[in-house]
Amino acid sequence: MASARSLIGRASDGDQAAWNAIVDRFSGLVWATTRSYRLADAEAADVTQTTWLRLVENLDRIHDPDRLGAWLATTARRECLRLIRRSGRELASDDEWVLDTPTDDPLDGPLLARERDAALGRALARIGERCQALLRLVALADPPTYEEIGAALGMPIGAIGPTRARCLDKLRRSPELAGHSSA
Amino acid sequence: MPESDPDESLVAELQALFARSDPVPPVVDEAARAALGWRRLDADLAELLGDSALERGELVGARGAGGPARSVSFRAGGLSIDLEIHVDGAECMLLGQLSPGAAVEIEIQTLDDDLAVTAATDRLGRFRARITGGRSIRLRVPAGGGPASARAVETSWIGI
Repeated sequence: MASARSLIGRASDGDQAAWNAIVDRFSGLVWATTRSYRLADAEAADVTQTTWLRLVENLDRIHDPDRLGAWLATTARRECLRLIRRSGRELASDDEWVLDTPTDDPLDGPLLARERDAALGRALARIGERCQALLRLVALADPPTYEEIGAALGMPIGAIGPTRARCLDKLRRSPELAGHSSA
Repeated sequence: MPESDPDESLVAELQALFARSDPVPPVVDEAARAALGWRRLDADLAELLGDSALERGELVGARGAGGPARSVSFRAGGLSIDLEIHVDGAECMLLGQLSPGAAVEIEIQTLDDDLAVTAATDRLGRFRARITGGRSIRLRVPAGGGPASARAVETSWIGI
């Protein structure tokens, strides 16, 4: 893929192909970031749209193209917080970092046809929002850097490695997965 | 990490799971691609400087009837634009102020071209407009609306 600097420059001149390449590269990161804040689908779509509009209006002001992913994740996170506060909801915890409590809405539904998927979904619901959000980002097809994950979650970079290991361990030890070998 | 790391096989499983269960919706990607159509061609950016929705403290959670209005401010060079957003059911009442003041026609753009509305400022730069909420808007102040009047000014997008 062309360098981020060149893509930004071309997109700034209106090159739709260059812009599409940027969207393709970071679309998953922006979407997964909105998923960290438990937004409804329509809200997640709005935040995502605002994030991309924010990049369009700042195309000529991105000073460090290599950190574009972190810029987008930071922007998406800010827009999530803006929407949450605007709607009068409170964040789960005071430090803008979701609580480590189990949720009651695992990734269920007909899409999870396979038994292993269903077990993974139940296990994810058990490990808490904090771990879910982190693993959602870690498991992106185009794995984000720790800087990007930290920007998405408002989490110190140094905490990400240990938290990742702990969350994966919790997941592996959950009753749904313990005793099954991973494929 | 070594390839035999059991963490990596679990991450690979999660990746497949999320790819099936929560892909980026195609309509979201289409909107992202279309966003480039909103780049500024002939205007300077009035950057979003302050938004009471992002400030912490007692205002959080206080909204709706009787609640305080949201205040948002933008700035481009010597021109500042302050906006109060009063939510009134499905509609939003916008009360705005250009500083320095000038009598101009402001355009309130939405992502749906058909819904753009205009508002005339008085000679002190004050304006008001009503627009349905639940959408993104930006304001466009034509050239002549401020001290740096050679170019038009467009604000950052905000959701209302």
